[in-house]
Amino acid sequence: MHTIVCIKQIIDPEIPADQFKLDASTKRQVRGGLSLVISAYDQNALEVALQLREKVGGKVTALCLGESGAMGAIKTALGMAVDEGVLVSDPPLLESDPFGVVHILAKAIQKIGVPDLVLTGCVSGDTGDKVMGPLIAEELGLPCVTFVSKVEVKDGKALVRRIVEDGYELVEAAFPLVVSIISDDSNVPRYSKLKDIMVAAKKQVPTWKTADLGLDGERVGAGAARLQMRDVSIPERDSKCEILDGETPEERAERLALRLRELKVI
Amino acid sequence: MDFELTEEQRLFQETAQQVAEKEITPIAERVDESGQFPRETIAQLGELGFMGVAVPQEYGGAGADTVCYVLALEEISRACASHGVIMSVNNSLYCEPVLRFGMEEQKRRFLAPVASGKSMGCFCLSEPGAGSDAANQQTTARREGDWYVLNGTKNFITNGNEADYAIVFATVNKALKHKGICAFAVERGTPGFTVAHLEKKLGIRGSSCAQLTFDNCRVSAENLLGKEGEGFKIALATLDGGRIGIAAQAVGIARAALEASRDYSKQRIQFGKPIAANQAIQFMLADMATEIDAARLLTLNAALLKDRGLRHTKESSMAKLYASEVAMRASIKGVQIFGGYGYMMDYPAQRFMRDAKITEIYEGTSEVQRMVIASALLS
Ligand SMILES: Cc1cc2nc3c(=O)[nH]c(=O)nc-3n(C[C@H](O)[C@H](O)[C@H](O)COP(=O)(O)OP(=O)(O)OC[C@H]3O[C@@H](n4cnc5c(N)ncnc54)[C@H](O)[C@@H]3O)c2cc1C
Repeated sequence: MHTIVCIKQIIDPEIPADQFKLDASTKRQVRGGLSLVISAYDQNALEVALQLREKVGGKVTALCLGESGAMGAIKTALGMAVDEGVLVSDPPLLESDPFGVVHILAKAIQKIGVPDLVLTGCVSGDTGDKVMGPLIAEELGLPCVTFVSKVEVKDGKALVRRIVEDGYELVEAAFPLVVSIISDDSNVPRYSKLKDIMVAAKKQVPTWKTADLGLDGERVGAGAARLQMRDVSIPERDSKCEILDGETPEERAERLALRLRELKVI
Repeated sequence: MDFELTEEQRLFQETAQQVAEKEITPIAERVDESGQFPRETIAQLGELGFMGVAVPQEYGGAGADTVCYVLALEEISRACASHGVIMSVNNSLYCEPVLRFGMEEQKRRFLAPVASGKSMGCFCLSEPGAGSDAANQQTTARREGDWYVLNGTKNFITNGNEADYAIVFATVNKALKHKGICAFAVERGTPGFTVAHLEKKLGIRGSSCAQLTFDNCRVSAENLLGKEGEGFKIALATLDGGRIGIAAQAVGIARAALEASRDYSKQRIQFGKPIAANQAIQFMLADMATEIDAARLLTLNAALLKDRGLRHTKESSMAKLYASEVAMRASIKGVQIFGGYGYMMDYPAQRFMRDAKITEIYEGTSEVQRMVIASALLS
């Protein structure tokens, strides 16, 4: 079983709000020296892949398109004991829209060799896009199941647990397959073991550029972008503190409940 | 000096930060208040490799270097100094001497289980009458054929209540002074080895501090680390490394104090503006930050020398001395910045101050560090 997990490096969403800045011209977050992490659902996807490997064997490859610093994301994945990593990094490629990104990732996947399973996060942690899984499947001509918490193998087929409102669906699908992963108690990303980090740090990771991938120039880069971000802004947040009095805890709780209802919070 | 972190050092730091933030910070206050040893998180740290960071993988460790170790220890101590000292004693004071001075068979027996985090180790040098004057060992080791019989009392032993293995210093002949001292690896459960008493402490309350007694405790000659009479040398060499760990612990505590007071000062309004708008507060924060950076650099410098196999006695003492005093100053300023709230148990500022104090005392008081530094300067 070979699984490729597509991971994206983003600015840590946990940074204090006042450090979050937008670049007015590119409409993107300013990275500055802020700490970078693997997008949250992509981390869940890595965990799903690693659990699957523990059950059925095989290997896991982490694939990332990003700045050269995104090697850090690959190394973090390797620290979680992923077997291999590939970084695609070429500045013009980073200007691509999601369709361009998918073309790049699909070409990289083909170059690695189409695996049994491709995993992506279900939502990108910075832009909020939910398209990667389905579009990669389309590009590769593979079936796709979205919003999945767990993947198992039964009788040579994939049995995936797809989370829907108020429950889940069990979907059987043939390999090769693309699955987008949602977070769940069953796929909380593991911490790296320090001894795996020692291995990860030394592992060679190839960096591929445009020329390595045989990309269709019409489909990637800024010029090819069919989607453009026109405007983004940081919502203004206003916080107020109100203190409710009351003699007894019961009384205070009641006042709190009434006040919350008044504010239409409950 | 070159402090650009290597890839593995950066990843170590990142993992330590994550574990500290998600697993340890949330329980730090409870650990302090209850004074209970944090078994679960220590076991988790053990599984991840934090209990034998610089021990080679063939002996159950993570196989990293001292720089990785201090980076990790700073992060863990920033979250909770009790976790910091438990980790530091296990790594520096137990694993390190067994690794350096143990024979192959001893490493298999006494190192692998502890470095892998399955068991725990402690280091028994101090005695009621042998604190700063550690060579004044009263615990005796009487040779009887292939055995040594230990008798005596060890004081203030961190991890003493939980440790499965102890390194115990004892003298075969008091007249030989420090040249009579031996180091033994002693297993918990050996008849005559008892946890006699647990101390109640001002800080690092989640770690145990035990009085251990040895009453005709028979240990095999196979448990002797190094040669007879080499014990004091082993103790001093061990403390050279241990002090780097305590320096890292102190930097972690100081950082916790700085970060908490920085955040608080931005949010606490007095006279219609955040207290951080006052230069008096800003200057305290600036001094704290500057001293913390200096302390970290001294710590990394000592770690780097150790990793390069160079002598680092003086540099370890300098790092430990300076970092511990920085932790104390920074945490006192932290309480001041929190004002009355800093004095209350509901806020963490007081915990940092209580935790910081011990770093000026154990593994050699500040006075002892100055003695070590001065003797290196004057020799
Ligand atoms: C919480 C805690 C955990 C500990 N963990 C361990 C452990 O795991 N293993 C272990 O072996 N020990 C441990 N210790 C013991 C610790 O290392 C000693 O407490 C320390 O070395 C000081 O010894 P002492 O307490 O006997 O103080 P003393 O040596 O009595 O010192 C008292 C004061 O006199 C000063 N002083 C002493 N001699 C001189 C001198 N020549 N010149 C100037 N000033 C001097 C000291 O600096 C100090 O200020 C721990 C202690 C504590 C409190």
